Amino acid sequence: MSVKAFELVPAVERDLLMGDKARINIECIECCGKHLYVGTNDCFIHHFLLEEHTTPKGKLAFSAQKLLHKYLGLKKPVNELKAASALERLIVLCDNTVTVVDMVNLEAVSSGGARIKGVVSFCVNENPVTGDPFCVELGVIAAKRRTVQIYMVYEDRVQLVKEVSTPEQPCAVCLDGYFLCLALSTQYMILNYNTGASQDLFPYDSEEKKPIVKRIGREEFLLAAPGGLGMFATAEGVSQRAPVNWSESVIGAAVCFPYVVALDEGFVTVHSMLDQQLKQTLSFRDGNILQDFEGKVVLASTKAVYVLVPLPLERQIQDLLAGRRVEEALTLAEGARRNIPKDKFQIMHRRILQQAGFIQFGQLQFLEAKEHFRKGQLDVRELISLYPLLLPSSSSFTRCHPPLHEFADLNHLAQGDQEKVQRCKLFLISYLREVRSTEVANGCREDVDTALLKLYAEANHESLLDLLASENACLLADSAPWLEKHHKYFALGLLYRYHSQDDAALQLWVRVVNGDLQDSTRSDLYEYIVDFLSFCPNLDLVWKYAEWALQKDQKVGVQIFTRRAVSDDQAGHLNPDTVIEYLLKYQQAIVLYLEHLVLDRRVQKEKFHTHLAVVYLDKVLGLLPQSPTTTQQVTEAREQLQNLLKESNLYRVQLLLDKLQDTELLLERATLHGKLEEHDKALHILVHQLKDFPVAEGYCMWASASRDQDYQQRLFHLLLGVYLDSDAPGDEHTMAAVDLLNRHAGMFDATHVLRLLPEGWSLQLLRPFLSGALRGAMHARRTSQVALGLAGAENLLLKHDRLKYRGGPVFVSEKKGCQLCHNTFTEPDCVCLPGGVPVHTHCAAQRARDSPRKRQSTNPSNHT
Amino acid sequence: MKGKFDIDVLVASPSTITNRRVQRAMPDYAKMKKPDVKLVVLGDLNVGKTSLLHRYTERKFKDTISTVGGAFFLKQWGPYNISIWDTAGREQFHGLGSLYCRGAAAVILTYDVTNWQSLAELEDRFLYLTDTANSDCIFAIVGNKADLTDPRALVAEPEEEEGGDEKEGVPWANPSPTAPPMFRKQVFREDAVALYSRILRYKLLDEAASMPAERMCFETSAKTGYNVDLLFETLFDMVLPSILRKKSQNESPTVDLEECLEVNRTKDGCCT
Ligand SMILES: Nc1nc2c(ncn2[C@@H]2O[C@H](COP(=O)(O)OP(=O)(O)OP(=O)(O)O)[C@@H](O)[C@H]2O)c(=O)[nH]1
Ligand SMILES: [Mg+2]
Repeated sequence: MSVKAFELVPAVERDLLMGDKARINIECIECCGKHLYVGTNDCFIHHFLLEEHTTPKGKLAFSAQKLLHKYLGLKKPVNELKAASALERLIVLCDNTVTVVDMVNLEAVSSGGARIKGVVSFCVNENPVTGDPFCVELGVIAAKRRTVQIYMVYEDRVQLVKEVSTPEQPCAVCLDGYFLCLALSTQYMILNYNTGASQDLFPYDSEEKKPIVKRIGREEFLLAAPGGLGMFATAEGVSQRAPVNWSESVIGAAVCFPYVVALDEGFVTVHSMLDQQLKQTLSFRDGNILQDFEGKVVLASTKAVYVLVPLPLERQIQDLLAGRRVEEALTLAEGARRNIPKDKFQIMHRRILQQAGFIQFGQLQFLEAKEHFRKGQLDVRELISLYPLLLPSSSSFTRCHPPLHEFADLNHLAQGDQEKVQRCKLFLISYLREVRSTEVANGCREDVDTALLKLYAEANHESLLDLLASENACLLADSAPWLEKHHKYFALGLLYRYHSQDDAALQLWVRVVNGDLQDSTRSDLYEYIVDFLSFCPNLDLVWKYAEWALQKDQKVGVQIFTRRAVSDDQAGHLNPDTVIEYLLKYQQAIVLYLEHLVLDRRVQKEKFHTHLAVVYLDKVLGLLPQSPTTTQQVTEAREQLQNLLKESNLYRVQLLLDKLQDTELLLERATLHGKLEEHDKALHILVHQLKDFPVAEGYCMWASASRDQDYQQRLFHLLLGVYLDSDAPGDEHTMAAVDLLNRHAGMFDATHVLRLLPEGWSLQLLRPFLSGALRGAMHARRTSQVALGLAGAENLLLKHDRLKYRGGPVFVSEKKGCQLCHNTFTEPDCVCLPGGVPVHTHCAAQRARDSPRKRQSTNPSNHT
Repeated sequence: MKGKFDIDVLVASPSTITNRRVQRAMPDYAKMKKPDVKLVVLGDLNVGKTSLLHRYTERKFKDTISTVGGAFFLKQWGPYNISIWDTAGREQFHGLGSLYCRGAAAVILTYDVTNWQSLAELEDRFLYLTDTANSDCIFAIVGNKADLTDPRALVAEPEEEEGGDEKEGVPWANPSPTAPPMFRKQVFREDAVALYSRILRYKLLDEAASMPAERMCFETSAKTGYNVDLLFETLFDMVLPSILRKKSQNESPTVDLEECLEVNRTKDGCCT
């Protein structure tokens, strides 16, 4: 409860009205602009000028100046007064008679005409259907039983326009448009005086208690109902607002939007029409009259007049907010939307929403707060500034004045409750996240992002890295110390990177890897740095940190070079020669790098191939003399070497051969000889020294791969020759020879072989070879026969075509031109185009050359 | 919660509810919205009209005091605003009933299943108040406080938060020792169904063309929430045609609530 919506301000004091005459009472009042008219029970009308002024203390006060008082000469009380300012008339009810007097001098106008007799009560239609500004419509309850009359009041006369009868005696009336709202003796009703249609509202015993009928707006009335209720009813006879709850002794009611003010024996009560709640109670004794005039609520006791001055809306709202009654404040503000110019309202409304948001924020009602901040378009920095140290020191922000809330900062708000602080921080995180990419953050993106970064860092929030890795406006100068404080070095590095300070980032990260700084964000920070360097376009940086990376782990470190994308663009290009030279110190790294060049990237450069081969060889040689436990390693190393020697054609064979001269690396030597096409030497080594016949066979296959058949045959024959070499006879060689023949029958020239073989070999022994050779020969023969047949057939076809195209004779004469060059024929030689058109031989040749479809065009024919 | 739409607004007469919580989630300014259709809850005092509305709109059963005058709630139902009027059962406010019922699309006649008189009053005192309702007004007869007589009604609606501090939600097959004592059921479903037929006759409505009694007689418990959503949602769905018709005719010259600003007009009409 208790909004201060109104202030009671005295307007006309007792002595100004009646002095000390005890029996004089105020009967009615009328207020029109600054003019106040008071009717008394001794038949006087008093006319005051009411001036508003502000006291030195800033309070509103009224000073009343008495202009005139006039005795109506009837010794009866003045019952009602209504001003018609457009007519400059005052309508007076006294002694059951309505008279019209001049507003200024209070003199009755034109004696007879302007008078209505037999009137109980009357009302003015504030919303008349007729648009005539120079007359006033009155609803009159006539003393005649059960009748209501409608009069028009003109400057100097009155005119009866309508008379309607009512089911019961009316005792109070109100008029809006054609609608009469009447209090009858047992009920209220609506009566359309134009159509005569009526609508019962609800029962009310007017005899027992004085009814109240009050127009509150277009076609809506406020009525006193049983049980001290204030009921709202429309002209249609429905209620659209819940009733307000007055006391049983209510005397009068007035409306001053959004409030309904009521007067009873001891109090003035103020209810809101927006939520029907009681908002304010003022104690007031001897209350007699409560009426509103053009929004001004005037209150009178029997002896004095007061004005209920509404407090400025904003003040009321601020009071509500101060009482943390957010919803009521907003309702009040919202209710006033139409009464305030749009832009002014928006500013006010926004501010109230923001304040409401902060109140709810203070109560940790974050959802509601957020909604109000959003609707109120809060400058987020207002919120951020509550959190100590979050706003960058460079921020130009200053809090709004007057302040939107009562909190100095978060600690003040939380009163040391750490859990509260924590919850507030989480809220801010979620809030900033939401707004940072919206227009809310326009103009203060740095502040928002920096604050968010700080919160993330402090809360150890995983999104810190996402924030830094994506587009952001975090201020480096302000964020760096904060991140350091919270040991977020990796994140700080990212921030440096974002600000193109890669060197600073690397320096920091290196220190973390080295253990000088503690930050466990990434356990693979070293690999991360290597990866970073492998992409880094700044070669100076690469060289600067390569050494550190390689010293730490060559295998990983070398990825700086091997992972680097090969680009033609000069900026990020590393010359392999430079790299190799640099890597010479790093045994492991250089192998990996060379392998990268030769095997992965297949760089065709003798230097690299030779270098890699030599490196491989050295490795093998280095391993060889060692203990047998390394066999596995040796095998692997040799395989690498062998593969390279076999696959590559670029390395310097002679150089390697020299190196291998006195070693046991026979296979390698054989391979090298093979590269030099010294197959006899190679095979000799394999057969006689290595004594590995399958390998020898394999050698033949390898060395002749991608060569023609003759070459292959030559090699196999060579191998056979080595086996059969009489210089070094032996059973095993014989067996090898037999196996070779039997297995690779197709590789040999059988007749030649048969001539070579010793006489004594059994046929049985060579059966596979012989049958294979025979089958091969047969196959070859038949294949060629088939080919011959096919060729013959094709030839026949061609002949047929030729005969077909030749057709009849082709005539060539000097008169007839060539179709292609349009010159005449001078010789009988010509070419016929399809369709028998003769052209010059050279023209046809020319055309055939130009045309992609050569074959069709030429169809030479010798002619007579 | 079960309802498809959240309650938007709560407007209540100040005295209806003692400890009215002022802080509702998001105040929406729908307060100014004009309702599309009206439902009125009628019934003798103390039958639980206000409690039913609390249960439906706030998902709670809480203390009430006897309603003074009346109050209404605005419910957003799809694109429509439905106003639900809670009336006072007290004799004193009885006369206001017609005003509340004027133009109503549905009337919920509420009685207390443990109180025969409360059903009788519906026919004697309340039925004629509905004369002002729409000609096609739908009537529902609701026996509240079913929890007192029917073990089934003790089972709280599953999705609801617990309102009272009693041990509720006990399956009826296995009533817990702390279950409240049962009252004698004074009004049975058949009685309500019979009343429903009499209402149709009173309204001169053809029984065959009207909603069948089985669908329009409910037994509810505001305390446990038993059948409460069912009641309101059934009615909302039934009044939709009425809303649509009203919209299409678009003839209703209903006054905009905001028109009360008019009050600031000068008394001389157009001249200032
Ligand atoms: N056990 C039980 N008690 C209920 C139920 N509904 C309401 N009550 C109780 O009945 C009493 C009256 O409830 P209200 O909702 O105020 O009744 P009402 O119909 O609004 O009464 P008026 O406003 O005076 O017309 C209160 O004490 C409620 O706690 C119910 O479903 N079960
Ligand atoms: Mg109630």
